[in-house]
Amino acid sequence: MSEEKTVLGNIHVSPNVVATIAYHALLQSYGVVGLAPKNLAEGLAQTITKEPSRGVSVHFTGEDIDIDIHIIIEYGTRISSVANSVAHAVRFQVEKALGTPVHNINVHVQGLHVSNDE
Amino acid sequence: MTPESQSRLEHFKSKPLDGQALKKLVEAGLAWLKANQATVNALNVFPVPDGDTGTNMVLTMQAAYSEIDELGQRHIGQMAQAISQGALMGARGNSGVILSQIWRGFARSLHDLQVMDGPALVKAFADARDTAYKGVVRPVEGTILTVIKDVATAAQVALAETQDPYDILELIVPAADVSVQHTPELLPVLKQAGVVDSGGKGLFYLLEGMLRYVHGEPLDSPLTTIQPLTAMNLENSIDAIEPGQDYEVVIDFKPAQALDMQRFYSDLEVMGTSIQLGEGDGIYRMHIHVPTENRYHPIEYVMSIGTVTKVAMENLLAQMDEIGRVAESEQVEPTPIEPNQIAVVAVSPGKGISRVFASLGVAALVEGGQTMNPSTQEILNAFENLPTDRVIILPNNKNIILAAQAAKEVTVKKVHIVPSRTIPQGLAAMMQLNLDGDLTQVVDKMNRALDEVTTGEITIATRTVEIDGVSVEKDQVIALMNGKLVISTSTIEAAVMAFLEKASAADFELITLFSGQDLLASEANRITDLIRATYPSLEIELQDGGQPHYQLIISVE
Repeated sequence: MSEEKTVLGNIHVSPNVVATIAYHALLQSYGVVGLAPKNLAEGLAQTITKEPSRGVSVHFTGEDIDIDIHIIIEYGTRISSVANSVAHAVRFQVEKALGTPVHNINVHVQGLHVSNDE
Repeated sequence: MTPESQSRLEHFKSKPLDGQALKKLVEAGLAWLKANQATVNALNVFPVPDGDTGTNMVLTMQAAYSEIDELGQRHIGQMAQAISQGALMGARGNSGVILSQIWRGFARSLHDLQVMDGPALVKAFADARDTAYKGVVRPVEGTILTVIKDVATAAQVALAETQDPYDILELIVPAADVSVQHTPELLPVLKQAGVVDSGGKGLFYLLEGMLRYVHGEPLDSPLTTIQPLTAMNLENSIDAIEPGQDYEVVIDFKPAQALDMQRFYSDLEVMGTSIQLGEGDGIYRMHIHVPTENRYHPIEYVMSIGTVTKVAMENLLAQMDEIGRVAESEQVEPTPIEPNQIAVVAVSPGKGISRVFASLGVAALVEGGQTMNPSTQEILNAFENLPTDRVIILPNNKNIILAAQAAKEVTVKKVHIVPSRTIPQGLAAMMQLNLDGDLTQVVDKMNRALDEVTTGEITIATRTVEIDGVSVEKDQVIALMNGKLVISTSTIEAAVMAFLEKASAADFELITLFSGQDLLASEANRITDLIRATYPSLEIELQDGGQPHYQLIISVE
């Protein structure tokens, strides 16, 4: 849990919340045309349950927030620039929403998507 | 349009718009974008200066242009293909990637064409728009995407009036401007910050540059735009010296009445070149390069329109010689590597820091440059020709870790990346280097060394924003601890002392300070003395790092 103490008590933020914020940041990140499951089993499960955080996994280790992102990038773009921008955008959105820093963001480019007319 | 512009336009229209014509248009677009680079950078909506939209778009277009610089190709499809290829390879930052997509769509559309007519141009813009939009799941309106969309629409509309590509260009540039001005209405964060979208503005300048070239208008100085004082790019104006420009004159002044920008620029254009105008702190700052015989003219002129508060005059030729000599004496030579030793490639933002890395046994250095954004190619070039296939890369900046990984993917050598996010981490890793050791063991030791040092980075905020619970006002001094913003205050000295306290410096042994190119030596010394007085039991070292953006990089170990 990401914890914050206030005058009135504690604020707990679950990893799911972070994942959702990251997910929405990803949808707007340029060059990202899809989100990939970490492995086949998870992929099948998510197709069935339609989880809103596909492609994103969040781990809290004590106070550290680590985010793993699995994306499909548009073929023909400069992968390093896209991945870089993704990491930045996700970090910015999560830190802005939570008010606490993100420890690590790992971007995994799982595949490239080739547009129909190529 | 002036009669000269009119006849120039007729001249363009009389010849086919082929590969060579496109090449010249791209060259012009790049020149104008470059001239207005600082304006685009100033529209950025993040607080820390590195990685700016204007710079990224210029670098992307420069990569595109270097593909076609020597190309004599007349086939417009082939020329466009080369441009698109160059843009892809050199795409920097988000805006650069989108720009490369725009070119990709544009080039694909022109693929089989020898020359381009009106209808082909209109279709090319439509294809550019479609390709650009395809690159993201949820396109954000109010960005460069909206501008290319509006440009494609305007081109389609123009086709009803004219079939000529140059006439169409004439109509779409104002449409692009309108689209850019409208972006704050579509994207709330722009409205809050009081700016238009930077990427959209960059695209506009590219198109406007092409039009200005067709009209025969100058491309080297931004017209009727005042930049914020902090964005004035005075150091780099040295690169733009033309023969006959002997003196650089910078004048701070207050005009007697509202400044007529057009008049001001045209009056100055008669005297010299590289004219820039900046505004801030209640004064205007004018910069110009003039030949020796004109050197007092700008001063007399400005005195006639207002009160001059400060004048600086510098002899450019003497400065050029000085820079040449200094550059030669400062070539940093990394350690020549023996066959099969472990080669470390380190990315460095400044000469002083490069020297420290070299002294520790680094085999190759990659200069990070202004935006600390070297391309995969640059990193690859650093180690491909070394006589060993055991390589360790120290990116020393979290932005570069991905480019390093891409280089690793492309090569056959055994490359390990030790993900140093800051210079101090990189240096701590270097201490673990054993040139003849076992690669995996060395990498392991380096990885563990990364967390043993605390890094501080001191810089000036370029925006007002709240991050990590810290309120930052533009131009305040901010301190980052291990990459996270922790302090915002009014002086560098205060930021340094507060950072050291937050980092529990008293519990450590050595503090090393790397002073950046924006920090005066006297101030660096003063701060060092203050630290010594406050922490008498610690060892304090000051090095001239020469890095841009960060006044100080601090390592606590």
